[in-house]
Amino acid sequence: MPDLIGIPREVLPGEKRVAATPETVGKLRVRNLLVQIERGAGAGSGISDAEYTEAGANLVDDAYLGANAVFKIRPPTLAEAARLHEGALLVSLIQPERNPGLLEALKGRRATPLALERIPRITRAQKMDVLSSMGNLAGYRAVIEALGLFQGFAGGQVTAAGSSRPARFLIIGAGVAGLAAIGAARSMGAEVRAFDTRAAAREQVESLGASFLEVAAKESGEGQGGYAKVMSPEYIAAEMALFRAQASEVDVIITTALVPGATAPKLVQRDAVEAMAPGSVIVDMAAEQGGNCELTTPGAVVLHHGVQIIGYTDLPSRMAVTASRLFSNNIANLAQELGKADTLVVDPANEVLRPALLLVHGKELPPLPASPPVTEKRVLPLPSARPAQNHLTSPTRVAWGSTVGGIVALVVLFLLGRFAPPDFLQHSTVFVLACFIGWQVIWSVKPALHTPLMSVTNAISGIIVVGGILQIGVSANLGTLLAGAAILFASINISGGFSVTQRMLRMFQTGARSLPPTIGGAP
Amino acid sequence: MTGGATIALYLAAGVLFIRALGGLSKQETAINGNISGSLGMLLAVAVAVVGWVIQNPGEGRSTGLAIMLSAATIGAVIGQVLARRVEMTGVPELVALLHSFVGLAAVLVGVSTYLSPPEVVQTTAGRTVHLVEIWVGVAVGALTLTGSIIAWGKLRGAITGKPLLLPGRHLLNIAIVAGIAGLAYPFLAAAQPLALSYLLGMSALAGAAGVLMVMAIGGADMPVVVSLLNSFSGWAAAAAGFMLGNDLLIVTGALVGSSGTILSIIMCRAMNRSMLNVVFGGFGTGDSKPSLSSGDSADSGTIHEITPPELGRRLAQSKQVIIVPGYGMAVSRAQAAVKQLSTTLRERGITVRFAIHPVAGRLPGHMNVLLAEAGVPYKIVLEMEQINQDFSSTDVVLVIGANDIVNPSALTDPSSSIYGMPVLEVWKARMVVILKRGMAAGYAGIDNPLFGLENSRMLFGDARQSVEALVAAIH
Repeated sequence: MPDLIGIPREVLPGEKRVAATPETVGKLRVRNLLVQIERGAGAGSGISDAEYTEAGANLVDDAYLGANAVFKIRPPTLAEAARLHEGALLVSLIQPERNPGLLEALKGRRATPLALERIPRITRAQKMDVLSSMGNLAGYRAVIEALGLFQGFAGGQVTAAGSSRPARFLIIGAGVAGLAAIGAARSMGAEVRAFDTRAAAREQVESLGASFLEVAAKESGEGQGGYAKVMSPEYIAAEMALFRAQASEVDVIITTALVPGATAPKLVQRDAVEAMAPGSVIVDMAAEQGGNCELTTPGAVVLHHGVQIIGYTDLPSRMAVTASRLFSNNIANLAQELGKADTLVVDPANEVLRPALLLVHGKELPPLPASPPVTEKRVLPLPSARPAQNHLTSPTRVAWGSTVGGIVALVVLFLLGRFAPPDFLQHSTVFVLACFIGWQVIWSVKPALHTPLMSVTNAISGIIVVGGILQIGVSANLGTLLAGAAILFASINISGGFSVTQRMLRMFQTGARSLPPTIGGAP
Repeated sequence: MTGGATIALYLAAGVLFIRALGGLSKQETAINGNISGSLGMLLAVAVAVVGWVIQNPGEGRSTGLAIMLSAATIGAVIGQVLARRVEMTGVPELVALLHSFVGLAAVLVGVSTYLSPPEVVQTTAGRTVHLVEIWVGVAVGALTLTGSIIAWGKLRGAITGKPLLLPGRHLLNIAIVAGIAGLAYPFLAAAQPLALSYLLGMSALAGAAGVLMVMAIGGADMPVVVSLLNSFSGWAAAAAGFMLGNDLLIVTGALVGSSGTILSIIMCRAMNRSMLNVVFGGFGTGDSKPSLSSGDSADSGTIHEITPPELGRRLAQSKQVIIVPGYGMAVSRAQAAVKQLSTTLRERGITVRFAIHPVAGRLPGHMNVLLAEAGVPYKIVLEMEQINQDFSSTDVVLVIGANDIVNPSALTDPSSSIYGMPVLEVWKARMVVILKRGMAAGYAGIDNPLFGLENSRMLFGDARQSVEALVAAIH
């Protein structure tokens, strides 16, 4: 009997996302898993019931009824948890630290909850990481919401009716959401500064074209799993001072500072808000966890001293179509870790699943041994300085080379002047000067033209044909015949060399520019 | 025509040649440069023929003219046929073959000059200098001739690309050079028939030197060898100018010689090698010691493969794509398919650029020629220095049939034989896909840790078929 997966409609007011799309339903159906979907579950994300049935799902009024597994987005309410089938698998955000009583309720149903927020942030699990996919979306949306309320241009403008400078953004916290916000703000032309306690964030911030702010106190905020840890009081004081100073300069502040399992740190205080110019906007992306700003009201926009503070807790849901698609894909990818055939198998030994498994059939698992910090990627140990090409261009070598060369040249010239016939001397003069001209002319050549250059010089070296011509005698003796052969070979060179060069150069020209052909054409 | 007029016109031809070389240094002026070169050649030949006609009145004139014109016509026709038939992938071979013709012509002119010396030579010292000039000219010519033929064979694949390293080859080389120099003495002293046999014997020695030199050079160094032979062909022409007392030959030969030398130096710098190391090093498969002894070969990690449909999807979602072509693209004649791929991606608004390493291929600028043939606009074909810092902001890099030029151990592993050579830093991109026939090492014969990196994917198979499958997958 194949497992039955239930996809309920989200009950939280304003939540428009859904945990499966027709595409991911199709993926589950390929494994012969059965899928039942609550009527209207996809409405908020623009997916009709018909599309789900077409993909192979059954429409039901109660998605929990008889389902061995339930996929959803938000942590279940206690009422929802009570509807779980006995012993069912639950895949969703669970956040037990913020939902007291939920774990007990799940235990009562002997359920196996897989908490999506606890999927480890390792490379292999990235495709299942809903915090990343939703954070990315939320960061982008935060910029859009901020600009929606902000009364100016994001990018600078110089117009006949007057100029305006680019909007200034301060992004606090450069995690996934913060980086997405930086990218979005930058792409609209705003000037962006960002702050993060982790030194590793600097490179990422700067790679997006924002400037990285630092506080005077030195302390690394590198915590486990790519999150920041809680900082010391001195450090936080220094941070606050920085934000206060920045607040008077920037138009928009977006805060994304979260510490897992705890309420969000209060980083933007009343006086900082009051330091901002009227018309400025704050987006507090940590609103759901209490907010990074003292004045935030979760789920609402408040006005304080002309500054609008956005405390929306549904930023991803405001882009429900895309958010549902990405979230569902994350879950579908996770489902691939849950067995292969038509039953879902949870393997507690799986390194991706283990940290997310809160209970197995209602029983708690033994606590995880403290894991060593996971290194995210195998980074190639690159030396910051390139290995120098020293043995070719070291000053000593060059100096010795030119000194010795100069002495040899002088000696040769002296011997020539002393012993060689004047004829030879004159030819040598011509020779040396020509060498220098060639030397000067060629250095500037573009690498792309090396091949044509070589074939043209090859054609030119066919000039030896002149030698052959001069050696032709008036009678067909051996000398003349050899000279004739020389003319033959040199001519192959000349005609072949010039025309193959011409062919190559024509190809370089096509597409580059289309001048009309020269009148008369090439010889 | 008087002597003065001849010199003036030769001067004009020389100026045209210099303009040709100067013009070839920029895309915009390259065609004009080539036209200048051919005009200069036309002028030089016309002046030489007219001068010859004026100097040789009498009835032998028609015989000489007949030989001259028939030889030139036959040669020109053969040249045209070669130039028109050659495929752009075969240009390196053609250039090598043409170098050998210049070498041959130099030998022929030298021997002919010895048999019927020009009248200008009168004094004893003058005669000695003249004979030495012939000696040098024939030696350089013979070396160019055989060296180029071997290079041609290596480029065609008729001769193995691996360096042939005879035991004691350095001694052998020294012996040959000593022989060439030593034979000059009896040659200067001997009379006609005997001296001629010295001259021919010396040509054979010089020819052997050419064979040995190029046989000992690995396939990876062919760009250097071809440009070195290019400079030799110039020096051979200059030497012919000395023996005939003709300034135009000297000037032109010197121009070509120095240009070839510079190209060789540029190539050597691109590989962080010295000229001596290339010519005498026997670098390449076999002789060098790869870093296997350091015991970290397990470090090369596991190889991840990728399929064309998967890669197609990945490419379609990218914003920045860089293609790094190498000799493998030339071998499988994949340039047209690669061009099609780049067009398909560009039509979807994806930025596609090409990164060219200075020693990619078997001839300087080889990749540029192939891409130009396929119609890739040269604005998106960038040199290493222009593009190397952009890899970190690139989504996908496609490495098509290149190996050593993208080997990170050139920067990281001091024991590697290519350590210090500038390479394209493709591994900084989000994903690197290497299109390759199999896991064989590159021409330098060393392991490439790139293949085992986390962000590397291999797409095995013939480059053209792989790229065509990719284009089909994207459509």
